[in-house]
Amino acid sequence: MKFARCCFVAIHLVATAALLISLFTGLRIRAVLDDFWRNYSYLLPQGEVISIHLLSGMLLSLAAFCYLIYTRLKQQDKKRTTTRLKHKYHHLVIRLGHWVLITAIISGWLIWLQAPVINKLASILHYLMALAVIAYLFSHSYFHFIDSGVGGLKRVFVPGKGLKPLFFIIVFSLPALAWLSHAFIAQNQYQTLLVDDLNPDTHIDIDGIANEGIWQQAHQISVLTHGGANFDNGQTRIWAQAVQNEQEIYFALRWQDANESLSHLPLKKTEQGWKVKQQGFHHFDETEHYEDKFAVMLSNSCDYGADGTAHLGHQPLKDKPVNWHQKGYHASLDNQVRDLWHWKAVRTNGMLLADDNFIGKPISHKPGVRRYTAGYQADGKESGAYVMNWLWYKPDIIVPKRLPQDNNKLALFNQNALLPWFESTPYHKTTDRYPVGTELPSVLYRSNRFEGDRANVRAKGIWKDGYWHLELARKLDTGSQKDVVIDSGVCIWFSAFDRSQVAHTRHVRAIQLVFAS
Amino acid sequence: MKTARLIYSILTILVFTAWCYWQLETPVDFADYRFAKIASNGEPLNPWQGPWACTLDKEQGLLWEVKTDDESIHDGYWTYSWYDGQQGQDNFGDCYFEDNRCDTLDLVIRTNQQALCNVRGWRLPTSAELQSLYRLNTLPQQAQIATQYFPQIKNGDYWSSDHHQALTGHYQRFGHGAKAFNFFSQSELNLPYRNAAFVILVTEQLPSSRTEAGVLSR
Repeated sequence: MKFARCCFVAIHLVATAALLISLFTGLRIRAVLDDFWRNYSYLLPQGEVISIHLLSGMLLSLAAFCYLIYTRLKQQDKKRTTTRLKHKYHHLVIRLGHWVLITAIISGWLIWLQAPVINKLASILHYLMALAVIAYLFSHSYFHFIDSGVGGLKRVFVPGKGLKPLFFIIVFSLPALAWLSHAFIAQNQYQTLLVDDLNPDTHIDIDGIANEGIWQQAHQISVLTHGGANFDNGQTRIWAQAVQNEQEIYFALRWQDANESLSHLPLKKTEQGWKVKQQGFHHFDETEHYEDKFAVMLSNSCDYGADGTAHLGHQPLKDKPVNWHQKGYHASLDNQVRDLWHWKAVRTNGMLLADDNFIGKPISHKPGVRRYTAGYQADGKESGAYVMNWLWYKPDIIVPKRLPQDNNKLALFNQNALLPWFESTPYHKTTDRYPVGTELPSVLYRSNRFEGDRANVRAKGIWKDGYWHLELARKLDTGSQKDVVIDSGVCIWFSAFDRSQVAHTRHVRAIQLVFAS
Repeated sequence: MKTARLIYSILTILVFTAWCYWQLETPVDFADYRFAKIASNGEPLNPWQGPWACTLDKEQGLLWEVKTDDESIHDGYWTYSWYDGQQGQDNFGDCYFEDNRCDTLDLVIRTNQQALCNVRGWRLPTSAELQSLYRLNTLPQQAQIATQYFPQIKNGDYWSSDHHQALTGHYQRFGHGAKAFNFFSQSELNLPYRNAAFVILVTEQLPSSRTEAGVLSR
């Protein structure tokens, strides 16, 4: 009897701790895409919570497994057991709670596995179970506390006399086992993308159309990404192929996006003057008037949470500023550079480039800079730029830099969401005769395309029939300190943006590149 | 007893929640120890405000022209040959605001006519004044200057007022020139007057809003 009681108390304590950690870290992860939970940001843990969530999930799974064994043994010993629940209420709540926990654990594992068909359902279910856990904690734990007070808590969390060594063995061995299992799985968790060989004589056009013969033969993987704004249920599937010819690597990517979003913070003329159409840009979290984008991150290590670069929360980095959208920052706290290619449907697609960026250590906060981006920075460039068509951004009225020379071409410019430099003239209030209601693109290609380090990734995307098709090419070794040398074993992550500034999709496990030769 | 527990626990949760809520900060701006933004009318601006036309250097007691990308006379892309009306080479730079090509005197005259930031006395800075703007910038290929106060600084040479410098090497055949400074490489060199280089102007005159407020320490 004492032995069973001791096992129960130990497992209950571990499971409670794991459940609370999982719940709070899970809600922090949810807060990235859910305004409701961002309102409670101050109650949620911050930082690199994704790895902690996965570790606590492992601990909860082990505790649940132990509890199953415990109940089996207890059933065999039922005749000698005198333990009875005092109230039918508690009996019912605990029964329901068990099902909630089991469903939460299973759906969590399904998300981790990125199981193709059931993944959409799993993420919804996982969140619903998190809400059910909150209800369970109130109806079970809180009710118990009110009913029995601290004495009641002691009974379920403090072991009786005589078996304390066993209690501590269970309490410490379960987290240790969880940590070991987590570490083992983390080392063997990658999806792999086989990078096929490309004959050096074979030419691939970076035109967004993967019609070269090699793409018919190249291996393909798909990954369901989740957590992005505007996508159906926040999710989109990404298909990826890669080939290399010992000099360059080429990617052919495709992802579901019901609409081609090119309208990027357009300007609209009002009675008071020109205004930027935006809903969240003032807080650097636009999700309506923004171009589609795609990001590829590369790293020599393959850990969870975008290789440990995702730091969630309103102020996840100590001594660094609070962020505007309370979602978090990207930064490499181990000082290793992660490569980040950021393709933008308007701002870089016309340059046939992806913006070559990187994630490094968080920079210091400078006075006069309203947006702090921690470790997310652009590679250096020799020249070339896109610029926004306003002298200074304000949420109310702005002054454009340029207006189209020919009013008749405005529809074409709006369609392309780009105002050509040489078909526009500097703005003067006296010559601005555009009627109220006129819309104008906000993106200007000021001069040539990027040159230098920032232009290392060639890219072209084409949207067709509900899918974006994107081709990327980069030298395996650019020689830049801000780029990762691409070789077999390098890990990559994909993120899609549906007319959103920062609300991108993500996937839990890294994809490891494996060169065919 | 149960009622007391209920009340105390709810109160504890509420107090804890309120305490956490008050801990939550919103982003706040803070002033640079040395630089401040000044609007084109001479009025001071907060660190996050803009556009600003001048940057006040509180340490040096100087007001600097801010370069733009609006194709005005202050556009950072324009280049100028070095010319003070007597020495140098006129109209060997590239800009849109002159019928002929541009020289440093064109920008000085225009800026003083305009009374940028409500002051006059705009001139070319000395080489020492230019170099005093150095500030470490760890981002790749960025000017070593406080770019948040001095935008549109190009990777090229900026004219100083230090002239009649003997030229050497490749430029020796031009005789004399003026000192120029590169904010990216932090290097100074003597260039022939006829070279096209960038310009950032400076003045000792300060807007009345700043001098009256007694913000300047010297």
